[in-house]
Amino acid sequence: MRLYRKEGNTIQILSFPTENVEKGDYLQIEDPKQNKALITQVIDVQFANVPGILEELLRDSTNDENLNGQDFDPLEVASHVTYIQDSRLLICKIRASLDNGKISPTSTWLPSRSQSIIKQLPTTALLNLIKINHSLPIQLGETKDESPLNIDATALDGKLNIVTGKKETGKSHLSKLLVLSLVSHGAPIVVLDLNGEYAHLGYGADGKKNEYNPKVNVLTPSENFKVTLAQMKLRVILNILIHALNLPGTSAREFRRIWQFLDERATLTLHELGEAIRNWRCNQHVRDALFSRYYALVNSGFFTDNPSESVSLEECLQKIRDGGALVVNLRDTSLVDRQIVVEYVLGKLVDLLTQQKLKAVFLFAEEAHLYLRETYWDDIVTRMRHFGVFTTFVTNQPDTIRENIYRQADNVFLFNFTNEHDLEAVSRAAKVDAETVKSIARDLPSHHCLLLGTAVKDFPIVVRVKALNVQTMGQTRLFFTEKN
Amino acid sequence: MIQQTQYTPTPSKYNFPQTLQDTALPTRFIELSLRSIKNIQDSATLYQPYETITEDSINPTEEITPVFLGQTKLKLNQIPLKPIHEETPVVAIDVSSIKIGETTTGILLAIRGAIVWKNQHHYHYLRIGPFPFHITEENKAEIYQLFRQYSLDAPEPSNHTSTPSLNYMQTRITTLLERWLQMNIATQSQNTLILWDGSLTAGTNDSPTHIVAQLLETARNRLNTVLAFTKITRLRLSGHRLTDLIEKCAPPCLLEMDGYPIAPSTGIQFLGNIYVAKLTRGNCSFRLDIDRKLPREQGVEAIQRLIANEQLAESYPETLRLAHIYSTFTANEVIAIQRLLAQTHGIKTVTRPNIRRLLFGPFGKGPEGG
Repeated sequence: MRLYRKEGNTIQILSFPTENVEKGDYLQIEDPKQNKALITQVIDVQFANVPGILEELLRDSTNDENLNGQDFDPLEVASHVTYIQDSRLLICKIRASLDNGKISPTSTWLPSRSQSIIKQLPTTALLNLIKINHSLPIQLGETKDESPLNIDATALDGKLNIVTGKKETGKSHLSKLLVLSLVSHGAPIVVLDLNGEYAHLGYGADGKKNEYNPKVNVLTPSENFKVTLAQMKLRVILNILIHALNLPGTSAREFRRIWQFLDERATLTLHELGEAIRNWRCNQHVRDALFSRYYALVNSGFFTDNPSESVSLEECLQKIRDGGALVVNLRDTSLVDRQIVVEYVLGKLVDLLTQQKLKAVFLFAEEAHLYLRETYWDDIVTRMRHFGVFTTFVTNQPDTIRENIYRQADNVFLFNFTNEHDLEAVSRAAKVDAETVKSIARDLPSHHCLLLGTAVKDFPIVVRVKALNVQTMGQTRLFFTEKN
Repeated sequence: MIQQTQYTPTPSKYNFPQTLQDTALPTRFIELSLRSIKNIQDSATLYQPYETITEDSINPTEEITPVFLGQTKLKLNQIPLKPIHEETPVVAIDVSSIKIGETTTGILLAIRGAIVWKNQHHYHYLRIGPFPFHITEENKAEIYQLFRQYSLDAPEPSNHTSTPSLNYMQTRITTLLERWLQMNIATQSQNTLILWDGSLTAGTNDSPTHIVAQLLETARNRLNTVLAFTKITRLRLSGHRLTDLIEKCAPPCLLEMDGYPIAPSTGIQFLGNIYVAKLTRGNCSFRLDIDRKLPREQGVEAIQRLIANEQLAESYPETLRLAHIYSTFTANEVIAIQRLLAQTHGIKTVTRPNIRRLLFGPFGKGPEGG
């Protein structure tokens, strides 16, 4: 390999056919005279712009069955021609520089074009250089050179993470891997499970209970997850009414009075709430508005007047405080009901964290745009983060996550995207340049993930996510199952 | 047909193609090539010319145009052509050379020949080379004599005065290799249309009359017909370009000069009947020389066979086009040869600065001006 050009933080390297370099690989450019080195990452592999190549390809095209021949080339110049034809240009980004063995994120010097020695930097060597902490290891899988890639659970602690990629590239799989790894390190996890994919985390691929089974608690709204109004705080129910059920302000004020009236009498039940709305002295339009929301609450099936049917979310969360996953199964739940449940869960979480009843919680939110109200996004990445809600967004629609969320993300686990619009959205991640994201993500194979951010000390690394011995498949109902 | 070799293949050190198995030149050619390169001192520097120098660019083919005696008025004989659909093999020869660079003692050239033949709707090619040669004042006589020996039948007396200067060696060697290939094809083919790039003008240093005449005779004896196409001609009649005059004729046709061609200088002879050929619709027409010793009708019949047996684009035969394409060097091939020399002899290539650019900046036009 030879150093060809440098422009900004992009370096072009000429590579020859015998050198097996791929996108995502790291190269070390050593300048022996300066005793320095640059650490670069290949973000694209192109054919070298060899002069005369078009003429040669046209001339040597052997597809025409009416044209054939032979070469009498005793000096074997043709092998050199082929060698040059197959030479490649590696487009690399400078990630750091090494000065007397010390790594630095900046590079203010230029290596010698003629004297530099360029060699591949194995991932293990890179990881040793960047000194990733392994006190609480999470094994994500293997890198291209088949060395295991471990990140540290502390790199997710207090952080905002995004797992994104197009459908069926393995993002939910990675997300489950993160959940179980965090659980095994004693972290409490709450999963907002849109498709019921996490409900079987406690079972192995063979359908039998696995080691995580006692630590995975699945709550399905209106089935084993119901609450009484008495368990609710006024703020939470108002959030539900205003944000999930679009209750106008005037009606909300009346509702507040009704709620306080019932609360003072310790009669916070659905039945009493209905009666209070019916008998409350107020404008008829307000009454109608309150009734329509009341019936939405009733029909959700999430609320009950029977205390024995109700679940204490606080108790559930206390159970997992030393490691466990609370999966809120939102499968088969309508949009409004989903929003009601999520408002309740998040409100309860903030309450418990504010009261120091919980130390912190890792929240995994699949396709959060389908249940998270607009104002919650900023809330989650700022206020709730300080309370101790550390969120991981999982989505296959990157444009549903706002730009400021990407900018504040500490870690991005990026799977394959081919759509330019999606790549554009993801490339806003501040952790790496847009070129890297667009070029590498476009060609990632299934179950391969480009890891960006704190977990890898801002050195993007491609990893093949390891298999999990759990029932991980989303249970999509199929029409042709019988025939297949 | 040249595919059907008349020689018994013998094991060879260099695994020659059968068509050239019998001839001694390639062996000597390779050995001389290797020996000449060994003359370059280890770790020497090769100065690459700023621009590509082919045999045409250093010594553009100067067409020797005849004067037609007996011309009293503007008179041309138009010969309409009718294709003769009888299977006839067509073979074409072309040779290219390129200057790879200069050393402190000489010049480094590469040379390559191509033979393309068409038989039963299929085109086949044989490329010979490339062969790099390091030509110095010391070895130029040896190289030139070898070429002459095998291409022109007999070596000239070995003295330095008969050897061209280094500047002309590229053109001379290219022509000599071309003659050698032409001789091989003339010898090995039968009932074949042989296409040459250029004319049948003889009497120059590269093309002595007796050699070209011998080539044509060898071809004739084996019932071959040599047709020589000149891509760019300055043929004129009463001041008019002949290639313009043929525009009015319906293709396929030939224009024949009324008169006898006389060379502008002594020693030059035209061994072919000179025509202007427009074989297809389009803008192009070419000077076509047909062996003069063939009966005129046989020459015309040969061209009628050509238009029936060959693909023609803009009046130019495909075999000759392919021969040119397969012999021509690409920029990448030049780099490949430089790489070969670097690997085998540690020769380092550097590009010479563009002197005109250095001195005159944007006004530095001319051969190296770009």
